[in-house]
Amino acid sequence: MKISLNWIKEYINLDGISVEEIVDILTMSGLEVEDVVNQNEIYKNFIVAEVKSVVKHPNADKLSVCEVFDGKEILQVICGASNVAANQKVVFAPVGSIIPNGNFEIKKAKIRGVESFGMICAEDELLLSDDHSGIMVLNDDLIPGTLITEALGLNDVILEIAVTPNRPDALSHIGVARDLSAIFNRELTLPEINLTESEIPAENIASVEISDTINCPRYCARIIQDVEIKESPLWLKNKIKSIGLRPINNIVDITNFILHEIGQPLHAFDLDFLNDKKIIVRSLESNIEFTTLDSKKRELPSGTLMICDSKKEVAIAGIMGGENSEITESTKNILIESAYFNPGSIRKTSKQIQLQTDSSYRFERGTDPNIVKYAAERAAQLISQYAGGKVLKGTIDIYPQKINPKELSLRFNRLNKILGFEIDNLKVAEILKNLGFELIEQNNEFIKVLVPTYRPDIEREIDLIEEVARINGYDNIPVVPKISVTLERKEDHQKFEDSVRNIFVGLGFNEMINNPLISEKEASLSGNPIKLANPQSIEMSCLRTTLLAGALNSVKRNLNFGNKDLMLFEIGNVFNAKNTAEINDFEDLVENQNLIFVLTGKEQLKSWNSVEKNFDFFSMKSFVNAFLSKISLEKFTNDSYYSNENENFIYSYQKLFENKIIGTGGKVKKQVLDLFDIQSDVFLFEFNLSEIKKINLPPLKFVEPLKYPKIIRDFAFIFDKEINYNQIEQFIFSQSVILLKQVDLFDVFESESIGSNKKSMAFRLEFYDEKRTLTEDEVEKEFNLLIEKITSHFNAKLRS
Amino acid sequence: MQDQLNQIKKDFENEISKADSLKSLDQIRIKYLSRNGIVTLLFDKLKEVPKENKRELGKSLNELRDFVSNLFENKKSEIEAQSTSLTSKIDLSLPGYPIKIGSKHILNQTLEEIKDIFKSMGFSVFEGPELESDYYNFEALNFPADHPARDMQDTFFINKNFLLRTHTSPVQIRVMEKMRPPVRAIMPGRVYRNEAINARSYCTFQQVEGLYVDKDVTFAELKGTLVSFAKQYYGDSLKYRFRPSFFPFTEPSAEMDITCFLCKGSGCRVCKNSGWLEILGCGMVDPNVFKYVNYDSEEFTGYAFGMGIERIALLKYGINDIRIFFENDVRFLKQF
Repeated sequence: MKISLNWIKEYINLDGISVEEIVDILTMSGLEVEDVVNQNEIYKNFIVAEVKSVVKHPNADKLSVCEVFDGKEILQVICGASNVAANQKVVFAPVGSIIPNGNFEIKKAKIRGVESFGMICAEDELLLSDDHSGIMVLNDDLIPGTLITEALGLNDVILEIAVTPNRPDALSHIGVARDLSAIFNRELTLPEINLTESEIPAENIASVEISDTINCPRYCARIIQDVEIKESPLWLKNKIKSIGLRPINNIVDITNFILHEIGQPLHAFDLDFLNDKKIIVRSLESNIEFTTLDSKKRELPSGTLMICDSKKEVAIAGIMGGENSEITESTKNILIESAYFNPGSIRKTSKQIQLQTDSSYRFERGTDPNIVKYAAERAAQLISQYAGGKVLKGTIDIYPQKINPKELSLRFNRLNKILGFEIDNLKVAEILKNLGFELIEQNNEFIKVLVPTYRPDIEREIDLIEEVARINGYDNIPVVPKISVTLERKEDHQKFEDSVRNIFVGLGFNEMINNPLISEKEASLSGNPIKLANPQSIEMSCLRTTLLAGALNSVKRNLNFGNKDLMLFEIGNVFNAKNTAEINDFEDLVENQNLIFVLTGKEQLKSWNSVEKNFDFFSMKSFVNAFLSKISLEKFTNDSYYSNENENFIYSYQKLFENKIIGTGGKVKKQVLDLFDIQSDVFLFEFNLSEIKKINLPPLKFVEPLKYPKIIRDFAFIFDKEINYNQIEQFIFSQSVILLKQVDLFDVFESESIGSNKKSMAFRLEFYDEKRTLTEDEVEKEFNLLIEKITSHFNAKLRS
Repeated sequence: MQDQLNQIKKDFENEISKADSLKSLDQIRIKYLSRNGIVTLLFDKLKEVPKENKRELGKSLNELRDFVSNLFENKKSEIEAQSTSLTSKIDLSLPGYPIKIGSKHILNQTLEEIKDIFKSMGFSVFEGPELESDYYNFEALNFPADHPARDMQDTFFINKNFLLRTHTSPVQIRVMEKMRPPVRAIMPGRVYRNEAINARSYCTFQQVEGLYVDKDVTFAELKGTLVSFAKQYYGDSLKYRFRPSFFPFTEPSAEMDITCFLCKGSGCRVCKNSGWLEILGCGMVDPNVFKYVNYDSEEFTGYAFGMGIERIALLKYGINDIRIFFENDVRFLKQF
């Protein structure tokens, strides 16, 4: 919201307070000033100049070469505007001035071979409006060389204030002035109404009826006859422009002015277009189509609160008027509407029809029901002043149930309890009084006030505490030097995830964070995706069901960047619907924390003394096992292998704990890689961390390092090719249960020389006992027995 | 006999001084100190020596043996040292072998630093779901149904009642539903906003929520705690301010600003010429929120705060485009 400091000064004397001070204090009391445009500063170089002559640029059709008199000398200036003409008074930017729109400096320049010493400005370049149709042509009586700050009255300071949704009272110049009045303890003066009325009572001409008093508790109307629609006076146009609006005509400008002065939205109807000169406020019984004054046809749902005449709808209450009754150049008689609408009702309609206006913005936040009549009178006064006409006697005011100020108490000890320090009781009273609260009772314990109706946000004691705190200044609340901490157990529900992160960083992985919103195609790679009702785009229409899509997208991006060798991991939540039905309950969905790691490219890079090696399935297995052993889970898990292609993998395996799958991974299949446009081999493994977190492992116990020597024996067998390692390993352990502690596979090879359907596997066996030294003999016996058993069980052949 | 010993000593000295390799040294060892070496054999002769001379000769022999073996060991170390310096002629400036160095995402490092500070002040760490109900995300946090406050956060909806949480504040409700005061916890997590993706905003980011409810929790303690946090994280010389703001679930509400570390407060593009950077929102828990979790607001007071991790990391590391956090370019990831 734009606020003009000059405008504010009409209601409060701010003499002796600097702009910086005002900006700072507004921000520090809850009206955050986001931007300050000090016109004296930004327009300091711009002057009035006179165009002496205009000739066409010799080398450019659309440019003119002008001679411009700046009050001292005649300068040559190139101008691109079509409306530039001799004898015009214009705004001239001399060399060295900074153009506010875009912040660029005017330099001496040669444009298509002709020198130019400055620029003739359009309104948009000066940020006066968004008009770029031509240069600004000024009043003829201005003297060349005059500063425009003086000539055009551009000596204002415009503040951009971010008003929070709880402060509808501050959405106007008087509203902001009221806060300043409380802060600086200076008087707030509201404009006085001096209305000359005609003898004819308004009621004789027009009437108002509210049929929905819940959504429209109050409606005031003023009738003004024989007005003349014309341009607004300069002061009014300047005010309207200063806050970034475009002047339209005197009536519209006056209603806009009052909205920004008092915060009360008004609407002006052409009275002659109202059937029976009657206003009826009612809710729609069925859907209708309605053309608003911006000439747009809108579908309005039943229940929408409308302003109607005796036959038709003429405005969407509180949002926008209709084309059928708007003020035109030929309007003679007008009805000014000033009303109070139920905020919830306005917001609901504004959302439904997706139309937000300056009016709806204020009504939905809550306007003051008791300023309605004053605003109507203020409008009538200004209209009679600047549009002529007769103001009919009296305001038609339908207000069946007066909304009275609420009574509210503030206990001083409660204020101290919340803030942690004491504010003087008198100071509390003064702050509330200056904010417009009426004091009705005060003693040592509490203060009782009436809450002005322009403060719908003040409903409870705590709201009064905030008012006192913010005006007194948050900076004045002390900063405690120490806190007390209870000695009960502290919990950290992210400890596990943090330790997992550390493990993967330690293993050499780089951590990614991917967008959990993915396309339906990607989400369908696994599980049962949950769709967004209002996605931004098809690419982000579903929640991820797996971390796979994000990981592959990151792989793809890295490959594009030329990063070919990747070890990436991510911890993140994945979402699945339990069935395809609607989600009505948390029971209908599963949100799990997953962990994924992905490998592609080279595991070992070629260097001057090492050979390169690509990542493969077994690299992946090593990392799976490394992770699971670091969390002490590895020895409790089993593997299931799938050498056939499935959903996402060419071949894959799963990790199981007590028959529950805790992770799946493998070599990603081509159809999936194609989806991400990846040509390299990719191996990835995804764990369900939520599931792993639930596992209750027995507490770790110390195992004494072996004190007795190990006896090592090697053997190699030729097996049938289809026998897999897992079977052999399990068999070996099943046969030698006590002395044999470890089996390592150290060679595998296949060759014609041993037969085409055969393979050779070599094992290293470790025998030991924790309590004694084994004898060579007993190991030899065990070893030979194993050879015998393996030979017969697998029909294998011992290699010598 | 003594002369013989002296001669042996002399010969040994002479020979060992000429030795220039471990091999020649070993020959000397064999000659003097092996089982059949000169010195060893002398000890055998000791048996033949008359008893009265035995003691003295024994002593001399011991001395000789110590002398020889000491000299031998010294020479051996010397030669070994020399041979090491010979092998050092390999080019030590050759690069080491490439190894993979892992990295934690800078956002999670930032989060961890923040968690560490609050944990040291006695905060627990809790979590809640990212897919939330309207009740937890809005209603129980005092966002009335048809209220403009809901416009403060552009929401991704699943349907009428479920949505992607727009802030971590719903975890406050979940924690208070399960516990009685005192409750002192931070609640980090991912949140979602239906905002256009550009250099300054993204559709998802991480927040850290904080909550402390007990019998005498005050705004002054909120300030103390957050100032301590900010000084620990940003440095002791930090300047700060608390400015009134609005959140439906806190009253009074505030935003905390710190001096812009780019311009040190003189005003720049990053701080929009204000000299200040907003780092978090906070306030005293609204009594309406306590109603939803059945806490008596006359008995208990509390404060809450929330901060965005991305914003903190952007500012701290001078990153000018938020999207780089989610690109996962390893050249970016490995920098931290």
